[in-house]
Amino acid sequence: MMSLTTVSLTSIVKKQYSYKLKAYVQVFWNLVFLQLLAILFSLNGVGMSGSSSETLEVEVHYYSADLVAFFTMLWGFIIAIIITTKAYRNDDFTFVTNRLSHNLSNILFLLTASIIGGLTAMLSPNLLKVIMYIFDRQLMVASTSAAGSLNEFIIGICTTSLYIFLFCALGYLIGTLVQIHKVFVVLVPALFFGALFLGGVSGNTRIVSNFFGFIFTESSILLFMTKIIISCTLVFASALVLSTRLEVKQ
Amino acid sequence: MSVITCNGLTKKYGRNKALNNLSFSIEENKITGLIGRNGSGKTTLLKIIAGHLKETSGEIKVFSEKPYNNLMVSANIIFIHDQMNLPAALNLKEILVVAANFYENWNSELANRLFDYFSFNPSHYYQDLSKGMKSTFNSILGLSARCPLTLFDEPTTGMDAGVRHDFYRAMLKDYISYPRSIIISSHHLNEVEDLLEDILLIKEGKEHLHLPSEDFKEWSIGMQGKTAIINEWTVDKEIIHTRSIGLDQSYVVVRNQFSEQEVQRARIAGIELSPVSASDLCVYLTSKTEGGIDDVFNHG
Amino acid sequence: MNLNLDGTKPIYLQISEWLEREILNGNFESDQKIYSQYQLAEIFNINPATAAKGLNILADENILYKKRGLGMFVTSAAKEMILTKRKNETLKKLVQEIVLEAERLSVSKGELIEMIKAADLGGEEK
Repeated sequence: MMSLTTVSLTSIVKKQYSYKLKAYVQVFWNLVFLQLLAILFSLNGVGMSGSSSETLEVEVHYYSADLVAFFTMLWGFIIAIIITTKAYRNDDFTFVTNRLSHNLSNILFLLTASIIGGLTAMLSPNLLKVIMYIFDRQLMVASTSAAGSLNEFIIGICTTSLYIFLFCALGYLIGTLVQIHKVFVVLVPALFFGALFLGGVSGNTRIVSNFFGFIFTESSILLFMTKIIISCTLVFASALVLSTRLEVKQ
Repeated sequence: MSVITCNGLTKKYGRNKALNNLSFSIEENKITGLIGRNGSGKTTLLKIIAGHLKETSGEIKVFSEKPYNNLMVSANIIFIHDQMNLPAALNLKEILVVAANFYENWNSELANRLFDYFSFNPSHYYQDLSKGMKSTFNSILGLSARCPLTLFDEPTTGMDAGVRHDFYRAMLKDYISYPRSIIISSHHLNEVEDLLEDILLIKEGKEHLHLPSEDFKEWSIGMQGKTAIINEWTVDKEIIHTRSIGLDQSYVVVRNQFSEQEVQRARIAGIELSPVSASDLCVYLTSKTEGGIDDVFNHG
Repeated sequence: MNLNLDGTKPIYLQISEWLEREILNGNFESDQKIYSQYQLAEIFNINPATAAKGLNILADENILYKKRGLGMFVTSAAKEMILTKRKNETLKKLVQEIVLEAERLSVSKGELIEMIKAADLGGEEK
């Protein structure tokens, strides 16, 4: 008998991961597009103040690249859902895979995408400044961003990336649920908006805001990172468990 | 050594049984033809073997292990079918590179030579190919991977006669130089039956006949003659197919259990005996009625 | 030689008969290695197992013998055995067919013998 090949999980995950970096390259073009779009919107500014005296008139426009970060998180959410759809999910089954390696390589891919997204989001304020400077040479641009010190820059990348990764996790879980049963397409938004609505009606916005507050308002970096990592792990793990029930349907 | 065994394999979709208590065993390094009507369960069976679907009940073992969600089984099987998902962002050359990466036994030389022989352009994309070219490309993947178990689900869909012939020949030659277990399901049994060692005929989700290809050809015999005489001769036999010819003649197909003398006697009685091809036999065995489509027109 | 694929004769029989003709023609001498099942499979575009069946028939009749690990070889008595077989079985069968057909067409044995005498061999009258 022809000798059977034995394979290790890690080698397959590695192969799938590098294959996905090549095959899913489209998502990075989407990232560029979305971030540029966000920068375009940001050119509007978020605030203005002015003062004048006899000799000097000062107009201060405030700009923020926060929109870029927000769009990037949205992007993470969406691409995570996309890779759970049939066309992408079945790619792995053409070659060598089991459900565990399939999910692990997806998670690695999403992690990579999150880091790249976080990096470009952190750099976008610079792009904003460059654009503004090109349009009006007389500007003086001062920055209150934390881009100054390298340390803070790196922390910024980490936190942004982790936020994006969390959105990826949520998108991945929701995408997986939808693949299991179409009813979730309606159920999940209904639950989310239902909770918001109920909160709004009863004046008690606890449910949803508590959830976000728990993560987003953490002041200690280390604690924050730990919370996010744990949350991501939980969410991805549930998606993983659910996906073992998923058969390969064309 | 069996490469695939299944016992009472059942697969239900709601109340519909795609596979119904199917049992068989396939030995390694044989080319087996999987034959059956559309909807008989061939594709479902292949998907379960490949680990894409999970059985509802019953047992299936591939390489002595359960195939669903099994990395070892996945690494040693390649499943070629016409709904294959190949990445849209990679061109044909890149897809070959990915395949080479995943399959230990991949033969790049064979892949490249087949690629050039069928005039593929390395920078083209899979979704831009015609149906026939897609099937051809899929078959290049299937053959070059040299997996111990290679599954082909109607691999020649859309191929013209010349390409079909080339594919069968390529499959045979590579099988000879590098033996492996091959299962090929096809609607063109007459084209492929000489390449098969065994034939597994599936009817309504269940195994109907599983024999060497040569035995299939000798399994039944056709008798033609005056209806009255034919009826006499077939009174104690199971009729597989019957058709009337002209006013008073009939053609029937029965199991071939005639001895030499019986054959002589039949011929003296004016009955013409003729062989029944494996392809025809499979069609007759899987028909709903003995008369086939003619029954639709013979009513009233 | 092209195989007759219309099903009148099993492929493995056609293979064994072709091999017999090859031996009769002198393409294979005694104790010479004959085609392997794989070579036959490639020549005739058939499954090696079918080719093997054809070889085994000849081995069972002692026209070929097997050398372990080396393949099938022609026995020394092969040529005579094939000739005898052809005479006894094949020719006899053909005669049987002709007699049967004559019976069905109501041709007497005498008429039949006349027809045989008149048959043209394309060569000398014997």
